[in-house]
Amino acid sequence: MTDVRLLVQRFDPLTDEKPRFAEYSVPKREGMTVLDALLYARDYLDHSIALRFSCRQASCGSCGMKINGRLRLACYTQVEELGGEKVVAQPMDNFEIIKDLVTDLGSFFAKHKQLMPYVLRSDSQEMDHPSAEFLMKPEELEKVLQFTYCIKCGLCTSSCPTVGTDALFPGPQALAQAYRYLSDERDEGGKRRIDALDTAHGVWRCHYAGSCSAVCPKGVDPALGIQLLKRHVMSGKARSEGAEVWKQQAAAAPPLK
Amino acid sequence: MADNTPKGAERAKNKRGIWGWINPYHYNLERWAYAFQRITGVAVLAYVLGHLGDTSFFVGGPTGSGPSPSSWDFIGTIFENSFGHLILVLVVLVLVFHGVNGIRLILAEFGFILKKPSKIEYPYKAKGLGSGQKYLIWIGIAAGVAAAVWAFLVLFEGMG
Ligand code: SF4
Repeated sequence: MTDVRLLVQRFDPLTDEKPRFAEYSVPKREGMTVLDALLYARDYLDHSIALRFSCRQASCGSCGMKINGRLRLACYTQVEELGGEKVVAQPMDNFEIIKDLVTDLGSFFAKHKQLMPYVLRSDSQEMDHPSAEFLMKPEELEKVLQFTYCIKCGLCTSSCPTVGTDALFPGPQALAQAYRYLSDERDEGGKRRIDALDTAHGVWRCHYAGSCSAVCPKGVDPALGIQLLKRHVMSGKARSEGAEVWKQQAAAAPPLK
Repeated sequence: MADNTPKGAERAKNKRGIWGWINPYHYNLERWAYAFQRITGVAVLAYVLGHLGDTSFFVGGPTGSGPSPSSWDFIGTIFENSFGHLILVLVVLVLVFHGVNGIRLILAEFGFILKKPSKIEYPYKAKGLGSGQKYLIWIGIAAGVAAAVWAFLVLFEGMG
């Protein structure tokens, strides 16, 4: 069995000035994933490699990293599909490096929360003490289903060119979830959601580079959600502003005889 | 007071910055279109500003001191040669690509050229990167090249 050359970007910001690559030779086996190769290197060759992982089956979203230049999940990428000879593992772009392959996802989760990733209802009593499930028709579910598959791995946000320059931009993951809830028929957050998105650093900072959808391992397709979100924001704004104008005109109009 | 900033604090930020805008390597066709849209946007803006500047020599120049034929002639010497004509051909190319791709972006933002979300199956194919809008990228490139060829023929015929 041949070996695979595994190059891992090593960098501890506390002690190192800049990143460097460490090379390991890992015995290849059939079906080996990049995560397997990294764990072999960590367990048998160098205990100090820092990496994050959990489920090993593309469900937890912990092992997102840049592999041979592309953003992928390490557990979801086979060594063989990369040619089987050389694997280069680097941390995800645009997230602060904690150590080696581990990045800080704190701001990523904060932005996700900021856009209210839950159903908003006006009946708060019913929300806090539901008397029944909030049911949904199957055809309505289909409209949002793909967006619910997000595992919050951060690959899409890491790939986004706007995220690389605008720290306040929510990023594709959070925006895709905003679309998911805005188009959920049970949701009544309409104006609140639109106001949160229609800002200087909001949805309009997306210029449809589409790399989020290209790298997403779960088929969430944030680029699609974000473009549809723009239409929602435009029409929602038009509706609410239109209603406002109508109200003002109605108030100013002479009473009907 | 001792500086306690970690040695690698700057590098640890790990932001791609403007480099991420203009380097689409390893990414999808739309990301390449995005990079070219940015670059051609700046190029078109620079051209328009330059063009406003040079035509203003007709009506008094930037300083407003009256028509300046010598400045105008000077601009002429920059563009009335093979190199200048090649720049103009390039301007035509980027202008047409930028315009067509801009229309594609507007159509996508209104959701006209994108399919609706639906049930998905592995292997996932992103509808947001579907073929309708991809054709428009290729149309933009083809239209830009065709316009550039036409501009080339017109400009260089005038020279010959
Ligand atoms: S949208 Fe896709 S790439 Fe982005 S965080 Fe969710 S699963 Fe990961």
